Amino acid sequence: MPMLKLNNVTKTFGEILAVEDISFEVSEGEFVFITGPSGSGKSTIIKLILRQFTPDSGEIFLNETDFGKLKYKEIPKMRQKIGIVFQDFKMIPDRTLWENVEVALAVTNVPRKEWKERVTHVIKLVGLEKRTSLFPSQLAGGELQRGSLARALVANPSIILADEPTGNLDWKTAESIMELFEQINKEGKTIIMATHHLGLIEKHKNRVIELNEGKVVSDSGSKKEEKGGKKEENKEEGKTEEQKELNISDKKSKSDEVEK
Amino acid sequence: MNIHLKTSLNNIRRSPFQALAAVFVLFVTFFVSSILIVFIYSSNQLIKHYETRPQMIVFLKDTASEEDVGSLKTKLESDGRLKKVAHITKEQALEIYKNATKDNPLLSELVNPSVFPSSLEFSLNDLSYAEQVISELKNEEIVDEVRYTASLGGEESLTDVVSKLRQISYYIRLTGGIFIGFLLGTSLVLMIVIISMKMSTRRNEMDILDLIGATPSFVRTPVFLEAIFYTLAGVFSGWFLCFVLVLYLTPSLMEYFQEIPILPQDALGLVILFGLIFAAELFVGLLLSFFGSVLAVARTRKRK
Repeated sequence: MPMLKLNNVTKTFGEILAVEDISFEVSEGEFVFITGPSGSGKSTIIKLILRQFTPDSGEIFLNETDFGKLKYKEIPKMRQKIGIVFQDFKMIPDRTLWENVEVALAVTNVPRKEWKERVTHVIKLVGLEKRTSLFPSQLAGGELQRGSLARALVANPSIILADEPTGNLDWKTAESIMELFEQINKEGKTIIMATHHLGLIEKHKNRVIELNEGKVVSDSGSKKEEKGGKKEENKEEGKTEEQKELNISDKKSKSDEVEK
Repeated sequence: MNIHLKTSLNNIRRSPFQALAAVFVLFVTFFVSSILIVFIYSSNQLIKHYETRPQMIVFLKDTASEEDVGSLKTKLESDGRLKKVAHITKEQALEIYKNATKDNPLLSELVNPSVFPSSLEFSLNDLSYAEQVISELKNEEIVDEVRYTASLGGEESLTDVVSKLRQISYYIRLTGGIFIGFLLGTSLVLMIVIISMKMSTRRNEMDILDLIGATPSFVRTPVFLEAIFYTLAGVFSGWFLCFVLVLYLTPSLMEYFQEIPILPQDALGLVILFGLIFAAELFVGLLLSFFGSVLAVARTRKRK
């Protein structure tokens, strides 16, 4: 059973056709790039999955739940299962980095006693241990995006949506962020990333769904099987998801080196 | 500290003048409300005093024996409709007359106790019993005449007195009610405006929270808490100033009104009165903050 399934999804804004008859499936643990020129419908798909928009027709299933049929009051609960990373970081300006990450736990009703441990863990994972007391205005673009990723990860969602996460970053920083995404994916998280950063797509051999004028023009197909062996190596039986993530942070992240 | 509490306090700290405006208007509202409530209480006490002071004098015939008077007095004392029954002898009547005419001693020199009839004075628990009691007393053999003593200036009958007192009381309540209503309305509107402004400045934050799965109640809670802070500050400061003012004025008021208990006569009574005022104002204030924030949230979400 696919984790995410879009079935003949169409969305229009007035007379403008944003996406038309889009269908694809994403299995658990996959890393999918959605690419295409500006206005091709990449962000619309992300927003449809997040239920910021309701499709005009078609169905969107996340873990077998039809997102399109969700009642308004059920939307927050579903969004809590999704980690989201934006191009413009969307960090709350008057909260520190620590508080920005913490707030994702607060909204998901994670017991307060777990907050410190979990925030420390993801902050360490993204390599921002010395920046926790800084406000977003005091952080660099790459740091903000790492913080945003930490916030997306802290509630341990099953899927991560990233809407042009490298769009506002220089090449080196973008690469470091991509390394982080790769590592998270290797630990089993499903990632769907909308990007037009062709260099990154080519470098990271993942599944690519290409859009043009709101339609899927190509789908390279699942790379899960190809990468499966590599992923399995990283999985250690009997360890919790968090312990596995801790392993990543313990290894000196390549991305840190690149940024430094 | 709770995350919502922290957010509320941060929001207050980051826009102190809006917070001050809200607290100040609520302070004025609850200060004036407290003053009006005390005023209404005092006017009620005043009416009660007039209603229950010796309102009737039953003049007794000269032929009435001590036994007959005593028996009538006992009968009146056991009547649940009446209170403060007192027997005024001829000698006491002369003393009262002397006191009343002390500016002109010549008038009292010419009279002796035999000129004055002895009398029984009493108050009614409720003025509505008046006519009934009068007609019953007129049937008593030793009663010569029954007269009213209550007067607020020219009224000829007890009904006039009661009607005038009730009219005064009605106008005090009506004017006070309208004024308090107007102030509460102003506070509500101001609360809505300030909370809406604050929510507009936090729109970005609210959108982010929305996207990461915050429930509407999660977004609303700091707004409610903020409104409650304003209310608590406004209610307490308004009530406290009124309390201090009343404490300060009590000796002068008591001296002026003398035997009329327009305010509680003991400290416990005063504390109870102000405790009740505070509880009522707190309740109204919390309702105000609840409706203010609900309307502000609804208004802001509608604009979205």
